[in-house]
Amino acid sequence: MNKLFLKIGLFAAIISLASCGNDSSPGYEYMPNMYRSPSIETYEEHNIEEYNGLPVKGTISQGNLSTFNFEDNLDGYLLAGGNYNDKDNIIKGKSTFPSDFIKSSKMIKDGEDLYVKMCAHCHGTKGDGKGTITHPIYSAVPSYSNTKMIRRSGSTMSELNEGHIFHAITYGLGAMGPHASQVSEEERWKIVYYIQENLQNNLEIK
Amino acid sequence: MILLNKLKKRLLFLTVLFTISLQSFAQIDGEALYKTNCTACHNIGGGRLIGPDLQGITERRDAEWLKSWINDNAAFRKSGDKDAIAIFEEYKGSVMAAFYFEDEEIEALLSYLANPPLEEVSVSKSNDFLSSEEEGMSNNTQLVIFLILLFVVITVLVSVKNSLKESLSQDTETVPESILRFVSKNRNKFIIGLGLFIFILYIIFNLLMGIGVVEKYQPDQPIAFSHTIHAGDNGIDCNYCHSSARDSKHSGIPSVNVCMNCHANIVEGTNTGKEELQKIYDAVGYNPETREYIKDYKQKPIEWIRVHNLPDLSYFNHSQHVTVGGLECQQCHGNMQEKTVGQVATMEELNNQENNIKDGIEFDHPTLTMGWCIDCHRQKEVNMENNDYYTEMHDKLKAKNDNGKITVEMIGGLECGKCHY
Repeated sequence: MNKLFLKIGLFAAIISLASCGNDSSPGYEYMPNMYRSPSIETYEEHNIEEYNGLPVKGTISQGNLSTFNFEDNLDGYLLAGGNYNDKDNIIKGKSTFPSDFIKSSKMIKDGEDLYVKMCAHCHGTKGDGKGTITHPIYSAVPSYSNTKMIRRSGSTMSELNEGHIFHAITYGLGAMGPHASQVSEEERWKIVYYIQENLQNNLEIK
Repeated sequence: MILLNKLKKRLLFLTVLFTISLQSFAQIDGEALYKTNCTACHNIGGGRLIGPDLQGITERRDAEWLKSWINDNAAFRKSGDKDAIAIFEEYKGSVMAAFYFEDEEIEALLSYLANPPLEEVSVSKSNDFLSSEEEGMSNNTQLVIFLILLFVVITVLVSVKNSLKESLSQDTETVPESILRFVSKNRNKFIIGLGLFIFILYIIFNLLMGIGVVEKYQPDQPIAFSHTIHAGDNGIDCNYCHSSARDSKHSGIPSVNVCMNCHANIVEGTNTGKEELQKIYDAVGYNPETREYIKDYKQKPIEWIRVHNLPDLSYFNHSQHVTVGGLECQQCHGNMQEKTVGQVATMEELNNQENNIKDGIEFDHPTLTMGWCIDCHRQKEVNMENNDYYTEMHDKLKAKNDNGKITVEMIGGLECGKCHY
């Protein structure tokens, strides 16, 4: 009779083991010490003081010497767009900072891909400011082809200079946050070229 | 005659009503103007955003002042209005656009601002987030319920038998006695034992096969972030937040500054209110009341729990798959935009994914195991269009194969050293 109890007990134990597949645990591994090395991987905890993965202060990573040296304020915004501010009179200019990335059909095509991924949810795929985001703050985005409203650049949206757009992506503008960490300088140029080529003079939308 | 008069009166009334309603249609919709032009920087009764709160603005300033300000605030400031200059100084750095509205548009806008609709309290504390997580019973609870039912049935049957025996004045027996008598009397013990043995073996086999399989793993995260709201309802592309998937090994967990791109202004969540967003502000040091970053704040990282974690002995690179291979995120991660927090998608879910059906990929092995990788490498066709540099080589490769289909396997996708170096 004892043997029978033992069998039933074993049976119950195995059932309860088999049914403990829990969604909040990754389960078991055959050889954890072979799967997980002691070296520090990305997104792992470490206790090295003052280490945050950023480049050392005062150094520039290879190929990332920037031609964009404008400050994060209104004057910087105007200067980047070739304008300057003379006692609240915005004087328009033509010059802009030199780009390492020359406009080409490939750049514009890549720009479209990036625009759809990174910008379209607020600015709309047509650049009309009607994106998919439903929150009120991000539903009053101006259209790139607007020819009426004078913006802080002293020009309308459709006349924005590449420097203005580049500065806005880098540092943000109004309710838009800075996107420098998400798109590299080359990618920013691609987006700028795409906006200038296809969205600023889009006659389909007003 | 009286009847005719009545009819005339009614007709007159109808025409008047009609013209009134026409007029109200012809009027410019102040609300629409407000919503398409102003809400990016202002709100009514919710405190300052980029610009001031517009609650009661029409009482504070007269209509003429507002008109000059809205239409061309730079020119208005130059004309020497002290209030205008003071406002500009207060919100230094954020310049308002010059809107050049028509007179009727301004009127409509101001009348809307004078009587804004009462703000509905938008925090509908719906428990969407919680309920979707607790869908379905776990295996454990199902088993327990089954066992309880079984026990109840046995008890009832035994008590029926006992009452019958009592009526025949025989000895009654308790529940365990009854079960044991049934088993010991049974002649086919051997068959039951064998069945039990096979069943136990089957369970042990399943248990061992489950080791190293992480399908359905969905840990609780420190912040109740919902992919449904961000990627689903609001249509934000995966690449916006996981921006390093395009050009690095890891599809990075977004740093807090990416959250702050929107949440510097959106300080109240749809499902969770202010509580969950406060965790972001605590990490980065932001005051949602004044909308300013706290100076010299010691920032601390948000400790998200990693869901997809391959063993060290295998190498995987996101950019190779996303940028070079041109895969959609959903082909490996399932419809993340319909889930709340990160989860390892099951094989069945991936097999139903439209892009996988289109590419003719069908998985036979659990997600994130080696067999699963191999399944795809054997079936996925490589896109060789528009690759001028290797055209000749690609043509040769295609000529080797009868149907002209080049899979990842054929360009070395199954070499051990590709992933295990």
